[in-house]
Amino acid sequence: MRKLLLGLGLLLVGGTAAAQHHRDAKDAAFTATPAFGSDGTLWLVRANADRVVVVKSSDFGRSFSAPVAVTPEAMNLDWGPDARARIAVDPKGGLVVTFAIFQDKRFNGRAFSARSNDNGVSFTRPRPLTADTTSQRFESVAIDPAGRVFAAWLDKRNVARAVAAGRPYPGAALAYAWSDDGAAFGSTSIALDNTCECCRLGIAFAGPGRPVIAFRNIFEGSIRDHAVVTFKDATTPGPLRRVSVDDWKLEACPHHGPSLAIAPDGSYHVAWFTDGKARKGLFYARADSADSAFGPPRAVSSPGRQPARPYLLADGRALHLVWKEFDGIKAQVRWQASRDGGHGWSEARTVAETDDASDHPLLVAHAGRVYLSWLTKVQGYRLIPLEDQP
Amino acid sequence: MRLSILPVLLLSLASICGAEAAGPLPFERGSWEKLRASHAGQPTVVHFWSLTCGPCLVELPHWGKLVTDRRDLKLVLIAADPLPQEQERVSATLAAAGLANSESWSFTDRFYERLRYEIDPAWAGELPRTVMIDGDGKTTVLPGVADLAQVRAWLDARPKPNR
Repeated sequence: MRKLLLGLGLLLVGGTAAAQHHRDAKDAAFTATPAFGSDGTLWLVRANADRVVVVKSSDFGRSFSAPVAVTPEAMNLDWGPDARARIAVDPKGGLVVTFAIFQDKRFNGRAFSARSNDNGVSFTRPRPLTADTTSQRFESVAIDPAGRVFAAWLDKRNVARAVAAGRPYPGAALAYAWSDDGAAFGSTSIALDNTCECCRLGIAFAGPGRPVIAFRNIFEGSIRDHAVVTFKDATTPGPLRRVSVDDWKLEACPHHGPSLAIAPDGSYHVAWFTDGKARKGLFYARADSADSAFGPPRAVSSPGRQPARPYLLADGRALHLVWKEFDGIKAQVRWQASRDGGHGWSEARTVAETDDASDHPLLVAHAGRVYLSWLTKVQGYRLIPLEDQP
Repeated sequence: MRLSILPVLLLSLASICGAEAAGPLPFERGSWEKLRASHAGQPTVVHFWSLTCGPCLVELPHWGKLVTDRRDLKLVLIAADPLPQEQERVSATLAAAGLANSESWSFTDRFYERLRYEIDPAWAGELPRTVMIDGDGKTTVLPGVADLAQVRAWLDARPKPNR
């Protein structure tokens, strides 16, 4: 009897707490990702608890339309710290949204895309990016200069195959697919195996049909450093180019992916977080072209301030870099700009701060102006023009 | 008649064994200081893990075994998920790894930068992570999957309490 009572008591206590925490975890899907339409409409895709919605603003983020659902029913969204729903606007004004869910308790993901052809009034029912059901996470979508939709993600199909054959397989594979409209994607290809399995990707284009992906790779000896792959054409990934030898040996999940920008002069720019033997903290490096080696990494911040979540944007001749720091009380978004192709950078400035939880800082540009896009728990969503900063 | 005392019994049981039984203690702003204070002078190993970290889940049963092998190991587990997790899953995962009786905490604040900063300003959140704390407060950090031989050696080198 005593045991039974004890069991019941535990059940009651545990049950209430678990229900409370379950709700908290779901509420924590907490991201907002922007894209500008050519007419200056700001589109924002938000992961809210267990659904994905799109809102729009015609006054640069001061007010927003009522949310339009992308997910037709509640879904178990991927709430990993480097995961987010994404949105892209194609040249025809169509909207493409991608997002991922957890399909089981082992954090296997399933990535989806949906499209709107009616200026965001409605979205097509989300369709998986790929037919394979093993696991896809950290999907990213971008429109190439010719208007085609490119998606890349971390895919675990080859892990499952290796395990079935009794072979080890560190990490995941870098997978990609193309689509003409973003509603449905063509066949999936694997660009390369054994990338780090839990970091966001950076995507840019070296030209029409030539995606470039920056990612955390697993090098010999479980070294998780960054690399870039430039496609020779739409279906031919070029050689892996290492961004930096940080020597971060880790058999774990950093949940810190890189950011990539390619300037109009063809130069490459990458910012990333590392905790390697060779260097620790947030770093930036540039390469003159698609074929040249990356120059020496520049430390962006001191490591004692938890510098993280870098985001790079090339807008015309200017390069912008933002990242997040923590000073012991407040999380701050710091900003640097370069007007000479990434050789020289302005002094870092704080452009926004908050004293509670916040999303990653993102950059978005329209009509020659660059904006910080940042969602925080206390202040809500903010679109902050960077050029107006003192 | 016997049944009528059930709610009272349940309530008292819940309040008596609430902290232990209901799962991990909530790790919030200020918790690190409290944790350190409650273990002051006592060599302690703090292991940070998370439900979303594959290597952590592989590593946990090894800690479970070490706890059984080494009665001199004072182990504290902190689930440092960047987003608060279901307590029942944290508890179930620890129980499955043989760690049901170890002191356990779980991040409950989404402002994880602040929690990490209080623990170690230089910690950017990568998991797993193990911190061995001497009786005099000196810390040794083992980033990534811990080499448990190193933990055993550290335990061996601690002064044994007088019997």
